[in-house]
Amino acid sequence: MNTEKLNTAKKQKRKYQVISLLSVCVFLLVWYLATAVFELVPAYSLPSPVKVLETFITKFHSKAPDGATLPKHFISSLQVAMSGYVLGAVIGVPLGIAMGWFKVVDKIIRPVFDLLKPIPPIALIPVMIVVFGISLQAKAVLIFFSTVIPCILNSYSGIRQTKQIHLWVSQTFGASNMQMLFTVAIPSALPMIFAGLRVAMGSSWMALVAAELLASTSGLGYLISIGRSLLRSDLILVGIFSLGMINIVITAIFNVVEKRFVRGGKAE
Amino acid sequence: MKIKLKEMGNSLFFSLIGIAAILILWTLGVKFTSVGLLLPTPLEVLQRMAYTFSNAIGRELTLPMHLAVSLRRVVIGFSLASVCGVVLGIAMGRFRMVEAVCKPLFELVRPIPSVAWIPLAIVWFGIGETAKTFIIFMAGFVNIVVNTYAGAKQVDENMLGVAYMLGANEIQAFFHVVIPSCVPYIFAGMQVGLSTCWMAVLAAEMVSSTEGIGWTITAGQENGDMTQIFVGIIAIAVVGLLLAVLMRWAERVLCRWRVRGK
Repeated sequence: MNTEKLNTAKKQKRKYQVISLLSVCVFLLVWYLATAVFELVPAYSLPSPVKVLETFITKFHSKAPDGATLPKHFISSLQVAMSGYVLGAVIGVPLGIAMGWFKVVDKIIRPVFDLLKPIPPIALIPVMIVVFGISLQAKAVLIFFSTVIPCILNSYSGIRQTKQIHLWVSQTFGASNMQMLFTVAIPSALPMIFAGLRVAMGSSWMALVAAELLASTSGLGYLISIGRSLLRSDLILVGIFSLGMINIVITAIFNVVEKRFVRGGKAE
Repeated sequence: MKIKLKEMGNSLFFSLIGIAAILILWTLGVKFTSVGLLLPTPLEVLQRMAYTFSNAIGRELTLPMHLAVSLRRVVIGFSLASVCGVVLGIAMGRFRMVEAVCKPLFELVRPIPSVAWIPLAIVWFGIGETAKTFIIFMAGFVNIVVNTYAGAKQVDENMLGVAYMLGANEIQAFFHVVIPSCVPYIFAGMQVGLSTCWMAVLAAEMVSSTEGIGWTITAGQENGDMTQIFVGIIAIAVVGLLLAVLMRWAERVLCRWRVRGK
């Protein structure tokens, strides 16, 4: 009886998986038919999926028409993103923790932070361009900004949400203030901190693309903006899909790291 | 009560000191170091801001009018995104068939940063309003679908069971159980969506447009007019903050039974 139930559940699941697969196939087929066979839309606005795949493959070794191969663009984007992101996380997380734990730090930094928080990092791009030019520095500072704010915000509220009872218990057992911070508050804030790091990754990636669209000479954002000025939408789509894929890979890495280091549930 | 008031006064005092310190440092930095070659003083920014309230930036629009242009775009794009996002999210969360068909396609679109749509939108729709609406739509849509879907997935099956047992039909159960328990999630999605939309409209206007608040800062950059850039940034931050507060307020009014973390 029970195994039978399990079997039907399995069958159901398989059925829906097949439907999912079919749905993607139909999507690609419609796309292919609309572009390559019936030519409903002009090729410059939507190329066929085959063409996109071809461009994707040739971009791995060909430098035309934007001066660098796809892996090169990727590495240049990643380099910028990582330098800003790591700096932002290394400064933002401890600062947020300090703000959450020490009242004095909170009082001093809070107003500055409240002033900077509502500024979307994208709005800072023109300032960065005027101050630093279109160098790596400009983009790194921009990404630093878009990383540091969610990092501070989440570490801060993570520390603030530490259960009072846990703190009392550790106090009763004679923990010092520092011991309480490192053995109770920080571990219980970790899920929130990780959520902040995730949000920061998303927003810094977005800021990077915006910066590269506006002013740069390499990177995936640059690739798609060249695609636009040459009316090569296959190039744009290759760029967009590569951005999407990178995002998926980064999310997967985050999941693995989080599973490894964070005990107890995920933050909502 | 007295203690609370005192605490509030205390923190207000510290905030004022903090802000004053920033402004003074900023002014001193501009006046006495080489930073002054690049940045305006806060006073200059304020003066310019007051000036642009009645005088045009660019050809004809004043600062509030630029803001209004951008806000109009956001409102159109965001409303479309909310309607479509909520419908798709709930449908995906409640009907396995819809989920099976739409989820893989949605997963294809979800990881793409909304800003990356800008070049494609321009190729598809030109540089007019349609392109901007599309970009804003994409920015809001993804966030709203993700959250609504999560909300629709976690509807308590026991509650649904109770509703059915008490004789509710599908439609009644849907409107009285499913929707109310999704609302907090929908609001969470809309809150994130709105701030992403506000960012997307900036990016879209910075890449291609002839009016709007995003345009004023790129125009400032092109003319080397740092004061104008700062005026733009401050206006953007203030409006962004107001939008967030407005969403919070709407949430508090519309779903009183369950206020998410304060």
